[in-house]
Amino acid sequence: MPVRVVESSTPAQVSGTDPGNRSQLPPSSLLGAGQAFSGTQNVSNQQKEEAWRVNVQIQGIDLEHGYLCGTMEALNVPMADTPVITFWEGEIVDGKNYTFYTGKWEATREDDMRHWSKFPSFSPLQGQVESDGGRQLDLNNYPYIFMRWKEQYFVNVGTDCGLTIAGFYYVCFSCSDGSISGFYYDPNSSPFQKLELKTVNEGRSGFSFSSYELQ
Amino acid sequence: MPTTTTSAASSSSSTASASGNNSNRQADVFSRLASSDPEVKLKALREVKNQIIGNRTKKLSFLKLGAVPAIASALADADDSEKCNNILVQSAAALGSFACGFEAGVQAVLDAGVFPRLLRLLTNPDEKVVDAGARSLRMIFQSNQAPKYDFLQEKNMEFLFSLLNSENENVSGLGASIIAHACGTSVEQRVLCEAGVLEKLVILLDGSLSQREACLESLATVLKNNPEAVSDFVGLESGRHLNSVTELTKDRYPRTRLLSCLCLVVIYNTSPSYFVNMGTKSGLITTLLELLNDPGQSGDDAALGLSCLIAGKEDLQKLAYEANAIKNIVDILKTDSELQTKRLQGLFLSLAELCSKLEDCRCSFVSLQVLDLLINALRHKDADVKAAACICLRNASRSVKNLSAGRFNSDHVMLPLVQLLHDPSSSVQVAVLGALSNIVLDFSSPKSSFIEFGGIKQLIELSKSMDPDARCSALRALRNLMFLADNKRKELFISDVNAQGFACLISDPEPPVQEQALALLRNLVDGCISSIEFVFDEDGLILDTVGRQLRKGPQAHMAIQGMYVLTNVASGTELHKEAVMQQLFPQATGSENFMLKFLQSDESQLRSATVWTIINLISPSSPGAYDRHVKLRSAGIIPQLKNMVNDACLDVKIRIKTVLGQSMSFGDNY
Repeated sequence: MPVRVVESSTPAQVSGTDPGNRSQLPPSSLLGAGQAFSGTQNVSNQQKEEAWRVNVQIQGIDLEHGYLCGTMEALNVPMADTPVITFWEGEIVDGKNYTFYTGKWEATREDDMRHWSKFPSFSPLQGQVESDGGRQLDLNNYPYIFMRWKEQYFVNVGTDCGLTIAGFYYVCFSCSDGSISGFYYDPNSSPFQKLELKTVNEGRSGFSFSSYELQ
Repeated sequence: MPTTTTSAASSSSSTASASGNNSNRQADVFSRLASSDPEVKLKALREVKNQIIGNRTKKLSFLKLGAVPAIASALADADDSEKCNNILVQSAAALGSFACGFEAGVQAVLDAGVFPRLLRLLTNPDEKVVDAGARSLRMIFQSNQAPKYDFLQEKNMEFLFSLLNSENENVSGLGASIIAHACGTSVEQRVLCEAGVLEKLVILLDGSLSQREACLESLATVLKNNPEAVSDFVGLESGRHLNSVTELTKDRYPRTRLLSCLCLVVIYNTSPSYFVNMGTKSGLITTLLELLNDPGQSGDDAALGLSCLIAGKEDLQKLAYEANAIKNIVDILKTDSELQTKRLQGLFLSLAELCSKLEDCRCSFVSLQVLDLLINALRHKDADVKAAACICLRNASRSVKNLSAGRFNSDHVMLPLVQLLHDPSSSVQVAVLGALSNIVLDFSSPKSSFIEFGGIKQLIELSKSMDPDARCSALRALRNLMFLADNKRKELFISDVNAQGFACLISDPEPPVQEQALALLRNLVDGCISSIEFVFDEDGLILDTVGRQLRKGPQAHMAIQGMYVLTNVASGTELHKEAVMQQLFPQATGSENFMLKFLQSDESQLRSATVWTIINLISPSSPGAYDRHVKLRSAGIIPQLKNMVNDACLDVKIRIKTVLGQSMSFGDNY
């Protein structure tokens, strides 16, 4: 979510893509366009405990390119009069388009490993990722999807709102129940702000799915 | 002292008497064309020929006065004696000039019945006569109206080869032109290759400019979409001629560069494995981009050639993007307002291909203000240009990021598109529906310009079109419009389409139409729980129709949407879940339950959708879940799921695990 940021002069790194011979990840019903998630982001710092309510909606997903996008809405943001909505784009770690190594956004490999290892579902993969970047991993059959989400712009407020969106999220999605956890990374913000989301069923007794088809 | 010249080629007087003099002179020429004095006739022929060369207006004017039949008579009347040779040459030249780049002229020449006479000139002992005849015939063969040439007839093939073998460059060029414009089928391509045409054509590659160009054009025709022909060509002298064609892309003449590029595009599209060298691909793209700036026909053809080359090929689109293709094309569109329709069409199609798969390209559109250019083109008088602009908009709007930012959701964009829904051309209608399908996905706001312009009513009309593609496209646009729609928007649709009407759409004879209708219904019953009520209107007609269609054993894509309708309804209240059970287990049974069939489908999405319906039906929070579980178990559905615990698709496997977990909570065991 948007935070206040002090300038950083770390140079950008080469985005580490490693195409190899992988195919795209198979689709997961709960990570599809139209799916909504709701929860919180813990924005506590040394001064105080604070959490924002957050709603996320997936707007598009392109597994062939390891891409997805959507909006994030933060409610009860102290600096803002209204909920703050941002548009974000995501990279899916599929071993074909993107790997566990970010290679940009001022995130070093050490930063990457520090964050991924905070997800329990990453531990079975950790050894291989550390040794060869995870080239041999069969992510197609793993019931968790790892992503990076980067907010691109504010949808409903100006850039002079006193908030910035300089960092990005390391995200883990559980294919079985659609729950999402994430950690916000920004060298100039409190570390490890946790995002926790669950699927939303809008008052229904079960799951409901909308769809569109781009021509 | 001002004087007038007798040639009258540059008469520029603007007085009435001068124009009177013009028409007098023209009438005079006709009487002289019919003169029995060969010298007078010859002079008249030269006069007409000199006036019409490169002058379309004069061609039209003489055409209307009947010049072509008059000249055809002069040609027919001349015998083959030497003294008539000049008449043969001049009349053939004049006829050729009428046919040159002027379709009405070609028509007139063919209607005058002079084609066989022109062919006979090719066997005249006088080289000049042969030349004139060959040139004239080449002009005719540039046109689509040229007579069909039957390559399958042996004597025609012999004649063709006699032309190709000729020392005379116009005659051999004619042979190549005939091939370029008349060879259409793979059978003809095979017959020509077997007769050795490739070996003859490659000789022309080393010939004069005119022979080279004729050869390149005819090679492209013989090789197009024919891997065997391409293989034969590349195999000739171990690829020497492929190299020659590649070298010609750097020739100093633009037309040669263009034709060699088009030849390579044909070879690449037929057999891409001959182009492993990245440099060749880049070179080809760069040359075509440069040729876009050529003011003549080469520029028109380059635009279409580029779109053909990069169509469907992400790697080439990327190369073109990196070579600044978008900016080049946009600069041409912005600076030249008088572009020919063919070039405009080609440029828009190239832009369309560039952003067909690449998000970076689509985002460039916004930053380069291409949208305004496209909106202007939507008002062009030519249908092909309008359709190309719509296709371009369609591809650009595949960018969810830009849709989300509301880039297309403005009156400025939407109004001309909505107006084009009434365009008389069906290709424009199809193209605009494609663009609108995407653009109505306005994640950005509940306000929709499209709806404000009465778009919903128009789409509902089109969903009843005689043309199944139009019905399908209209329903797809409605589906997208109703994606995550609020009740207010859904009501705008439902109020205009009653249950009976919607049931007809679901039962459309065409499966793709059924699929889109069901996908639309799926979206209508998603969201707020009260929206599910729509399927119960008129005694549950819509839900019954869905059930009936699913029982008919439909195609997978339609079944997927149908099952998601049931899934969404089954996520509602107890009543809704029971209504779904009614559809799964209707009173009159006897046939195998369709869910069992769907669970065994090869299509993983269908298996997944079916399992989701089950998950919702036995969702533990609902009171009737246990009874529904019993029924599903005794129908063999739960046991079927137990057999599928190792489904090849991860998503299906996970959903089955959910069901079996729920099942266990009802006391069932794995």
